[in-house]
Amino acid sequence: MPLDTSTYNLALLRVDGRRWNELRRINAQIRTQAAADGSSYLEMGHTKVMCVVTGPSEPGPRRGGVVGSAGGAGGGGGQSKDAEVVVNIVIAGFSSVDRKRRGRGDKRTLEMQSTVANALAASLHIHLFPHSQINVSLHVLSQDGSLLAALINAATLACVDAGIPMTDYVAACTAGSTSTYAANDESADPLLDMNHQEEQELPGLTVATMGDSDRVVALVCESRVQISRLEGMLVVGVDGCKQVREILDRVVREKGRRMIDEGTVEKGTGLNDMDVD
Amino acid sequence: MPITIHQPKPPRPLLSDLDPYNPLNVHDSDSDSSTGGGVDLSLPPKKPTSSLSHSGIVTPGEVITSDSQWMRGHGTYIPASTSDITSSLAGTITRTNKLISVRPLRARYTPEVGDLVVGRIVEVQAKRWRVDVGSTQLAALPLSAINLPGGILRKRTETDELQIRTFFAEGDLLVAEVQQLFQDGGAVLHTRSLKYGKLRNGVFVAVSGMGGGAGVVRSRRQVWTMDAANGAGQVDVILGVNGYVWISKHVETPAEVEGKPAPAGITNMEENVSATMYSSQNDRIETETMREIARLRGVITALVENGLRVDEEMVVRGYHEAVEMAMLSGEGQDDVYLGGERGEQLAAALTGK
Amino acid sequence: MPREVEPSLNEKQFVLQALQENLRLDGREIDQYRPLELTFGDQYGVADVTLGKTRVLAKASAEVTVPYTDRPLDGIFTIATELSPMTSPAFELNRPTETEVLLSRLLEKTVRRSNALDTESLCLIAGQKCWSVRVDVHVLSHDGNLIDAACFAVVAALRHFRKPDTSMEGGVLTVYTPAEREPVPLSWLHSPFCITWSFFGDQGEIALLDATWVEEQIRVASCTISLNRHGEICQIAKLGGTPVDAVALLQCSGVALTKAKEFSTYLDGKLAEDTKKRNKGGLLAELSAENDR
Repeated sequence: MPLDTSTYNLALLRVDGRRWNELRRINAQIRTQAAADGSSYLEMGHTKVMCVVTGPSEPGPRRGGVVGSAGGAGGGGGQSKDAEVVVNIVIAGFSSVDRKRRGRGDKRTLEMQSTVANALAASLHIHLFPHSQINVSLHVLSQDGSLLAALINAATLACVDAGIPMTDYVAACTAGSTSTYAANDESADPLLDMNHQEEQELPGLTVATMGDSDRVVALVCESRVQISRLEGMLVVGVDGCKQVREILDRVVREKGRRMIDEGTVEKGTGLNDMDVD
Repeated sequence: MPITIHQPKPPRPLLSDLDPYNPLNVHDSDSDSSTGGGVDLSLPPKKPTSSLSHSGIVTPGEVITSDSQWMRGHGTYIPASTSDITSSLAGTITRTNKLISVRPLRARYTPEVGDLVVGRIVEVQAKRWRVDVGSTQLAALPLSAINLPGGILRKRTETDELQIRTFFAEGDLLVAEVQQLFQDGGAVLHTRSLKYGKLRNGVFVAVSGMGGGAGVVRSRRQVWTMDAANGAGQVDVILGVNGYVWISKHVETPAEVEGKPAPAGITNMEENVSATMYSSQNDRIETETMREIARLRGVITALVENGLRVDEEMVVRGYHEAVEMAMLSGEGQDDVYLGGERGEQLAAALTGK
Repeated sequence: MPREVEPSLNEKQFVLQALQENLRLDGREIDQYRPLELTFGDQYGVADVTLGKTRVLAKASAEVTVPYTDRPLDGIFTIATELSPMTSPAFELNRPTETEVLLSRLLEKTVRRSNALDTESLCLIAGQKCWSVRVDVHVLSHDGNLIDAACFAVVAALRHFRKPDTSMEGGVLTVYTPAEREPVPLSWLHSPFCITWSFFGDQGEIALLDATWVEEQIRVASCTISLNRHGEICQIAKLGGTPVDAVALLQCSGVALTKAKEFSTYLDGKLAEDTKKRNKGGLLAELSAENDR
């Protein structure tokens, strides 16, 4: 699918009219499912993802999810001292342009499950819930690029909603570079938050960071790119994650504020006498 | 193909040299030559410090205070190499003397000793049951912690172990008290009181979660008997602290019947207890009673849906309100529907808005 | 399912403490690989790679088949990984573990998706006949850093491999036996290598190359970077785990490039050596009437 990226140099506008450092519109909600412990719905442009978190609860029978351990290596602990994070991703058949059925054993999905599980396990305080299991179920309703990033963001929101203690939000986004790997021009611009078309055409990577620090939880690059570009892309990606974190944070705060207004939650105790610097 | 390979460079000074722009500004079209992108990697580690004044909500990763005079409680942590108390939950701050903790907007039930809970048996083991109480783990109910038939204080025997399913089987509901907690948060229950035991003659409602959110709050009275309207007799309500609720027809316990001529001696009474205590058979329940139980259930779900707390006062007031609403509606007392708009109406009446 | 035995708490602490003092159990430097050994088999396309105690065997093979209908101009290229119970009792046949899935995905992304092998050159008759090249990766012994070893083995096997020569004359496709015509190498575009960093410590501040099995069990995160000697990154995979500073990751990628160049030089050397061995006196020796008897 050739896409005329040459116009970028003229107007510095991307196919969907964004500038290089602009995110697509992110729209998110939490507590979408009343019955679940935690739930969220997230749109990054046209990528739409739903997430439901169950737990921490007694581990039930295994249902083919992928387990994440904080180590992210060497097999996932089993009856360990930590809670297990089990992630299941279902990609709806109608989510992309060509209807394609993906079986349960699809390796790309398995890899994403493992990435989301391990990324969450790094932030969640799983040591507080020994012998239990946190089930994260993700449903992809529509795909338009940055899928892994959207999955991570949705899962983070749902975990916040479920009231599972965590170090910080795990926020993710993608970054790309304006020219393909073959062209070695130095003037390539990094791009933030790639859509499907750009992902097909241009090299890119997915970054997930811990809160608004520069610390990278997950970094996934699946295309050929000059090593010199990596720095620029990573920097833009990390910055994008900070913006995403702000957006996610706003969603949670908005929900909390509304709950206080409605009187569902009592206000925090008076902290005005507590001097904060 | 000429290829330049950049050495891993000391990034901080170099990158910030490259970057005269604010990361959020739109990139100037004339200055695209910088390969480093326009964003500074070496941002100073500025963490959002809680302003504490407006919304009153803290979110994960937010620094609550860096003052070392405070102690951290639930829902907070101290990141390595700092002394900042940081929130790990989205919720409101509570302070007990020097202890700062964050109460989540919503979370699973965390058992505490003395809590009255309603639970469901999910597993029967050799000497104990495993009970779902909506917590992070299943609670345990040892055989030694229940009232055995034929005398309250009796040693348990092997026969009891063999007959464990005759007391509670999978799926049975019971009301119990948390007796003890394990280090890992697991709870041990007991039913050693006539108040506790198997539940029958009623209906189960699960009210999601607790914490700061809507749902059952710990209060003085979790169990009460109330007079139902429309000649339905009396109804028991058990609000488990874990958010599980049981509403049932009130059955006179033998102790209450004592004054009347029927029972003879104390032994007889105990036999009476044992006969009914673990019965899985419902008594006869009149239609009126069933209807009022259904109405109460509707009141509780309406309270939850509209984000109101569930306790004795609210339920009783809500029930009376619902009875009145039903009277005013076309169908009269038979109308027990309290979903949707009617639920909102009820909630509005209760909050006085 | 038999489970891998986890190292005890004391073991973990010992290794970690040693690492904090820049010491590894086997006395290597932080960025030093274990001795890498590559031997080619008698046949073309068999590569046996040992990295310390880790041993991986890769075998490339080719056959003529029908191309996929949606890609009539491309040949077929598959990489099959096998982690059998021989490697470790924790692996079972026909039940891919997470390790195996991730390994095969990484190889796929590194070698196949980066177009290291020109699949268009495998096409014989558009839409009808093409070569199907298959690499089977067998892990014979697992002592950590499977990914790097497996990737090296795959690349070595493919570069060593020779497929039978073919010709098209008047719509007739002829596949020649090795006796008739010398087999030809695959059309190879670039050689990517995986370099895996393992991170240790609460903040992931210690980074190691080529972790052994013990180290792999203790690590808090890992990052596999695949690149070729031209400095092209083919794939990066840091799939979760403890967060690591972005700057440290950039530095890791720089070091990875030098390692990839070393690998590349080593492989080129080995391939040249092998060719020399197979082709002793060159054309002259073959033409000479003398023989060894």
